[in-house]
Amino acid sequence: MPLYSFKTIQIVPTSKDFIDIVLSRTQRQTPTVVHNGWAINRIRQFYMRKVKFTATNWHEKLTKILEDFPKVDDVHPFYADLLNVLYDRDHYKLALGQLHMARSLIDKVAQDYVRLLKYGDSLYRCKELKRAAMGRMCTVMKKQGPSLAYLEQVRQHMSRLPSIDPNTRTLLVCGYPNVGKSSFMNKVTRADVDVQPYAFTTKSLFVGHMDHRYLRWQVIDTPGLLDRPLEERNTIEMQSITALAHLRAAVLYIVDISEQCGFTIAQQAALFHAIKPLFANKPLLVVVNKTDVVALDALAPEDRAVLDEMAAEAARASGAPAGEGALLQMSTLREEGVMAVKQAACDQLLASRVEQKLQGKRIQDVAHRMHVAVPAPRDGMARPPVIPPGVAAARARRDAGDKRRTEKDVQEEQGGAGVYSADLRKGYQLKSDEWKYDILPEIIDGHNVLDFVDADIEARLEALEREEDALAAAAALEAEEMEEDHLTPEQLATLEEIRARKGAIVKAHRMKKAVANNQAVLPRRADAERTATTRNMKSALERMGLDAGAAVARARSRSQSRVGRKRARSAAASAGASAAMDVDGQPPKKRVHSSKSRSMSRGRSLSMAAPAEGKGLKDAAQRNRAVKMGDRAQRRMGKAARRGEGDRHIPDLKPKHLFSGKRGIGKTDRR
Amino acid sequence: MASRCQFENNNEVGVFAKLTNAYCLTALGGSENFYSVFEAELADHIPVVKTSIAGTRLVGRLTVGNKNGLLLPNTTTDQEMMHIRNSLPDEIVVQRIDERLNSLGNCIACNDYVALIHPDIDKETEELVADVLGVEVFRQSIAGNTLIGSYCAFSNQGGMVAPSVSVEDLDELSSLLQVPLVAGTVNRGSDVVGAGMVVNDWAAFCGLDTTATELSVLESVFKLRDAQPSDIVKEMRASLIDSLA
Repeated sequence: MPLYSFKTIQIVPTSKDFIDIVLSRTQRQTPTVVHNGWAINRIRQFYMRKVKFTATNWHEKLTKILEDFPKVDDVHPFYADLLNVLYDRDHYKLALGQLHMARSLIDKVAQDYVRLLKYGDSLYRCKELKRAAMGRMCTVMKKQGPSLAYLEQVRQHMSRLPSIDPNTRTLLVCGYPNVGKSSFMNKVTRADVDVQPYAFTTKSLFVGHMDHRYLRWQVIDTPGLLDRPLEERNTIEMQSITALAHLRAAVLYIVDISEQCGFTIAQQAALFHAIKPLFANKPLLVVVNKTDVVALDALAPEDRAVLDEMAAEAARASGAPAGEGALLQMSTLREEGVMAVKQAACDQLLASRVEQKLQGKRIQDVAHRMHVAVPAPRDGMARPPVIPPGVAAARARRDAGDKRRTEKDVQEEQGGAGVYSADLRKGYQLKSDEWKYDILPEIIDGHNVLDFVDADIEARLEALEREEDALAAAAALEAEEMEEDHLTPEQLATLEEIRARKGAIVKAHRMKKAVANNQAVLPRRADAERTATTRNMKSALERMGLDAGAAVARARSRSQSRVGRKRARSAAASAGASAAMDVDGQPPKKRVHSSKSRSMSRGRSLSMAAPAEGKGLKDAAQRNRAVKMGDRAQRRMGKAARRGEGDRHIPDLKPKHLFSGKRGIGKTDRR
Repeated sequence: MASRCQFENNNEVGVFAKLTNAYCLTALGGSENFYSVFEAELADHIPVVKTSIAGTRLVGRLTVGNKNGLLLPNTTTDQEMMHIRNSLPDEIVVQRIDERLNSLGNCIACNDYVALIHPDIDKETEELVADVLGVEVFRQSIAGNTLIGSYCAFSNQGGMVAPSVSVEDLDELSSLLQVPLVAGTVNRGSDVVGAGMVVNDWAAFCGLDTTATELSVLESVFKLRDAQPSDIVKEMRASLIDSLA
């Protein structure tokens, strides 16, 4: 699990790209149409929005960059130092600081120009202010070109850094160039580091992983170190130093006793003693490599003494008792002793880590996980495991390579998953194998077959029925208690009547249901049984002692056809009308002038009084002529039934020809 | 011997399989992959049966059983029951029970001698468990969890319970069950050990996510492949401390 997400930092664009990105985003995501005729406030809003939008965009993008890049002071000291070695801490901080400054400058510019835009008095001035604001923002960002380019380089390099977890179990391989560090790494992990017969083949840290004692271990291969003061070391060597200084790992100091690497054992010992402070408080092993060329026992006594001194020093540095344990030999070429070295290193590191964790607080929370509760016998009963006799033999067979042909193999042969349909009955354990594929009915004569598989089902059913009979008898006995003998003759009569009514209702309902089932659904008014007749209503009402005359008359009147019958006036109105008719004896004369009648039919606007009759005209003759002229003017229009200016007109709000079809420029609502 | 497997990309092996010393039930899946893991390991010795329970694939959570019998929830269909009955030897009693808490696998945990059951289970069911499975029955909860079958898994040789159980509770449970117990996890830290694995006296199956440490604890406590529970406190102690603390 990576501790830091250096690989997920987003690309840092160059300053030119950055400007293009933000400006085109503004162009795309804010309105683009502004008109001179708009209210000045609207024009100001339009340009303010553009300025604010651009500034927010810059702000967000810069913030993302500032958040993505790790802060040197916040990361693990190993990574902090590695960043310093690789990218120069000051340069890195400066670049991020400048972006931070640019961000606040842009915010300031936006604030100023939005304030100025409030006083823009024309579209042109507002536009110029917006131009100026954007121009200044872009200038600020253009100046960040070098910082952005540097950060992009850093990002690319960082995303290629090995994901080293500084806190996990780690073996750290170090030594002079060409002593066989990478070869060891390749032997214990699957990292496949490049191995070449020249110095500084490994130019950066490499990580590999291996399993040992149920745990995952991280092996770090470092570039070779030369024996020179710290100030003179190059970037490649400094990475090794960083790893040595900050990782709590088991250190394997590899010594080439064949001296094929070009450095004598004495020189290698000198380096060991020079970087000794870096080994403090870490499990440290001196590993003698290339024993296939020169055996450890065949070494010159002075060289052997040097090695022994290193081993003693190593034992002292790691806090272990001095002894042979700290000096190991291996040959990566012949793969001799490699696993022993790995095991010794892992065990030493694990022991030291456990010792440290036992002193911490968290061990309390997991102490019970290390506890195996062993039962105290509570009775004399033996509870032996139940293991079939053939298990061990079958396992031995399987380990020897005798594979059973499984359903999966069959499935693969017969078309794979989804095609192959497994035989579920294959494993049935029945008295006769012939029965396996018998088809068994699930239901016979309406009975579920499996309800009858019990041998004693008959007896149990009988018992159940007996129980039920007993219950029914008890219920019947209880019902008999309620007798009708104690009722008076009136109550009996009422009871009879109630029962008869109930019977009638039930019968009617059944008939209705039968009819409904046989016929198409009729409206309720159709009344299939003809119960809702006027006669029935009349008799029912009279039975209740009401006068049914009015109701019947109304029902009759509703059943009459309305065709050919005029709407009658109410009694009072018709009385008055008939009185008037008595005087004339004929209906009022129809109006002659169409214009007059039209004007009467139209609702008059109440805000203006109706013009007085003949107002503005000299006399009655002139008025008559005017009326006639008006009539004549209307006549042709009226005859042709043409539309006049007084007619109600609904304009075509969305003329089809303007709103349908595709335009060459890709819009349908602009012309 | 402990194996890792998955049911259709799901690590909760105990949900989709039920393993006892006399038979094994697995869910009906889209392919034979899951079934074949069990088949390769067990089919020489005990029947391995593909089935659904109540039309679902949650075979392990809905059923409970041991070498003597198998209890099915009342939602099991007649066809499923007939299929299981036909597939298992006659000496194993298959019984459908009317229990309100019908996910029997979650509410009951048992080996061939002892069963722990949910405190709210019916009296009749308790009697049936004792009769059909031939076990001593104890009403128990594990560290406040009443779903006893989800939070523990045990065979006749050993058992594992959820990691939240304290040392005292562990000792008490161990003396009830008369097997060595350890608090642990499966499937990379999952505390529902009962749902995450199945185990009998010579084999165990857990999810593909199970770490090497978890697997070795499991093998030790269940005495699979000649491992002993005491290994946990001796040889594996350092690895456990380093990976847990």
